[in-house]
Amino acid sequence: MAIITPKMIGERVKRREDPRLIQGRATYVDDIKIAGMLHLAFRRSDIAHGIIKSIDVSAAQAMPGVELVITGAELKEFLPPMPIGTPFPSPDHYSVAVDRVRYQGEPVAVVVAADRYLARDAADAIEIEYEPLPAVIDPERAMTGEPAIVHEAFANNLAVPYVPGGTGFDPVAGTVDNTAVDKAFAEADFVLSQRMLNQRLAPTAMEPRGVVAHYEPGKEHLTIWSSTQNPHILKTFVAALTGTPDNQVRAIAPEVGGGFGCKINIYGEDYVAAALSKKLGKPLKWIEDRSEAFQATIHGRDILAYVDIAGKNDGRVTGLKIKLIADIGAYNMILTAAIPTLTMLMLNGTYDIPAIRAELTEVFTNKMPTDAYRGAGRPEGAYFVERAMDMVARHLNMDPAEVKRKNFIKADQFPFATQMGAVYDSGDYEKTLDLALKNAKWEELKAERDRMRADGRIVGIGLSFYVEVCGLGPSASLPTGGWEYSSVTVERSGKITATTGASPHGQGNETTFSQMLSDQFGIPMGDITILHGDTGVVKQGIGTFGSRSQAVGGTALLKAGEKVKDKMARFAAALLNPNEETDTSNMVFAEGRISFKDAPGQSVGFSDVAAYAYVPVPLPAGMEPGLSDQAFFEPANNTYPYGAHIAMLEIDRETGEPRLLKMLAVDDAGTIINPLIVEGQLHGGLAQGIGQAMIEEVVYDEDGQLITGSFMDYAIPRATDFPWFELDKTVTPTPVNPLGAKGVGEAGTLGSTPCIVNAAVDALSPFGVKHIDMMLRPEKLWRIINEGATG
Amino acid sequence: MEVSGDHKFAAPRAAVWAALLDPRALQASIPGCEKFEEVAPQSYDLVIKVGIAAIKGTYAGNVTVTDPVDGESYRLVVDGRGKPGSVQGAATLTLIDDAGGTLVKYLGDVKAQGAIARLGSRLLGGAAKLMIGQFMKAMEKQVEARS
Repeated sequence: MAIITPKMIGERVKRREDPRLIQGRATYVDDIKIAGMLHLAFRRSDIAHGIIKSIDVSAAQAMPGVELVITGAELKEFLPPMPIGTPFPSPDHYSVAVDRVRYQGEPVAVVVAADRYLARDAADAIEIEYEPLPAVIDPERAMTGEPAIVHEAFANNLAVPYVPGGTGFDPVAGTVDNTAVDKAFAEADFVLSQRMLNQRLAPTAMEPRGVVAHYEPGKEHLTIWSSTQNPHILKTFVAALTGTPDNQVRAIAPEVGGGFGCKINIYGEDYVAAALSKKLGKPLKWIEDRSEAFQATIHGRDILAYVDIAGKNDGRVTGLKIKLIADIGAYNMILTAAIPTLTMLMLNGTYDIPAIRAELTEVFTNKMPTDAYRGAGRPEGAYFVERAMDMVARHLNMDPAEVKRKNFIKADQFPFATQMGAVYDSGDYEKTLDLALKNAKWEELKAERDRMRADGRIVGIGLSFYVEVCGLGPSASLPTGGWEYSSVTVERSGKITATTGASPHGQGNETTFSQMLSDQFGIPMGDITILHGDTGVVKQGIGTFGSRSQAVGGTALLKAGEKVKDKMARFAAALLNPNEETDTSNMVFAEGRISFKDAPGQSVGFSDVAAYAYVPVPLPAGMEPGLSDQAFFEPANNTYPYGAHIAMLEIDRETGEPRLLKMLAVDDAGTIINPLIVEGQLHGGLAQGIGQAMIEEVVYDEDGQLITGSFMDYAIPRATDFPWFELDKTVTPTPVNPLGAKGVGEAGTLGSTPCIVNAAVDALSPFGVKHIDMMLRPEKLWRIINEGATG
Repeated sequence: MEVSGDHKFAAPRAAVWAALLDPRALQASIPGCEKFEEVAPQSYDLVIKVGIAAIKGTYAGNVTVTDPVDGESYRLVVDGRGKPGSVQGAATLTLIDDAGGTLVKYLGDVKAQGAIARLGSRLLGGAAKLMIGQFMKAMEKQVEARS
């Protein structure tokens, strides 16, 4: 195949998506309007747990303009329970509650009406009587069956009773041999123990969810627009649940205003819109409001860990035991039960710890289900490990950088098989750590902290080093299939139209993929269009999550491009050298022309070759006309990007308010196509990681009422909350894909949270603090400063 | 959520006690009361209109007096439902002689569901205090009118 000369790859190209987004010219689901379209509203449960005694829809039904009012029990007749994508046992989860509600915000009835406001008024007019049951809120108490059982078939509320992992665990036999772990702890110089909570978060995408479903009875065809990260999976699931053949369903993700994992799921509202559109033969729309997004879009994190870390006095960590308890909420959604298993997978961190025992229990409670939120299981793992490593440094009074260095997996140990069953692809952790320490002027930073402390200020610095699993992944690790799809067409004009199944929601794939094709075909980016998000246009696909679109989707694109390029080279050779059989394997595509490598002066125009391919007179022997092909790419392994984060944090002595003074990161995401986009992804990840560390938390009261139900009570960070992010990179390509790209979309959430909490613990160490749970609420910090570290 | 406070009446304890348990005085004193109907002795179904921020709306519910200790104390159990959600509360009112007048102390607990809890929990305490204040002021007039 012909050579690619990197010209656009690696350039800081501005995102071509941005002009339409910032000028308000993009089309989101709510911009879709179809003649005769009706609107849905969902009546949701006001209580967290209870039996539905009666539903009186008569007043709602009588309102003018109301087309249909339907309850969960009625919907159940033609809409089966929602499917999930994990192998764990799961209770039936209907789109609309049938006889019992299990979280506040669960849909109980649906209204179809002429306009959105009327639909909401009618939903409010439905009379529902419940027999309230005690709300199950505390996951540890829930494990004893108290104060109630969420699902009768799941004793003691155990959704996943016990999953072991680590050293001496045989996944085939299911047996656990504790010899090595017990020995490590018995021979340790010290064992440190800590309970840590990685709290519940709301994904808060700028655009809430939304769906338009349009079933055309004459064509027996369903088109569904949804704000989703994965239209092909949506299509497959909606087809199955509504009993529509999947070749008669088209799913479209128009512009998607952020997802952060929460739009991987296919929700009850999607299924109900599709099923009712089919039943009524009319187009239907539902747009989530912010209040509904807090209540009924998946939450993230909420994993509790009991951590024991054992080591030697020289700083060597010899053993780790982590007991994880995941509060998954009321039901399993698509990936719910799998997310905490990713936490477990990453408990080796970046360290060569010889003995690890992990245990995972997942618990049902009367809360919104959890699922993937930016980082999805890995930030929890990185947080627990990095907090524990920091505790070791603090216990031994060692520099945390030295403890990390002492325990790092070394560059010559890759590929490295971890105690948790992962195989890390590539890495040079010391190199990245050294660059971070150099950029931060680490020794000076410590001296500056000490000077500030001497002035009476409460200041701390924190260091963290994360590794995450990205580029998901082989099909063995993903129930939907672990590949990605792409097609490339050179049009008659010589312009290129490509499609990708990696449906973006802010990743800038139109830009990076154009950069890649520009280099591959030697034509300007402006001549390339990337289509995505429409199953009627993109034949197959998995979607965008797990930092996979570049590593997996980008590779599929290159592979499809290669096939077309090979064919185009043969057409070009036929034009250049019509009478001879020639070797086309090293033709050069550059500056809009195609030539033999050995005869650069003799070339044909790219567009001339394209025109010839579609009117091939004469048609070269053994060739078909046209320039269009497709490729599927499945990597043999995941990728494991990593990085070092450093933060400096000050706490106001008078108010307890924390302020981030410094945030520095060196990340290694492998090969980078567009540094500007990578930095943008890191900024977003850092913002959400800092948000978790400092101000974000979903809170339910003891009755299961969500009391962080709006942006008045659920804080998200703003630009003024941040110092300038000091970013740098090392580049260690992955051998897993030919690009060498690892993935970066979630990275910022992994390093920043433990780093900031490490800084907060450092700041509060003069007050006797050894650990503090997130988020860093000023009241909590003020109490420590004024009353000591009791809580 | 706990709600507590007190209100001083410039009237003897017996007069205040009588007014507080008089359906007509109650109806006149409950802020925004649009319907008031005795359904059992010392138990009233009512409709009230609330105009405060996130808990704005019309609520239908019931107020029942329990555990009366003549002239000294009683318990008030409130249950209301409206478009923004529902509220349950219970409060103990205690009457104490105080420098020629009567001090009414109240200590109660309010629970909310739905949008009230989601959006208004931070306002609920303040709104409850405001409404109790309005109630007590109006009740003062009722006590005066009766004497």
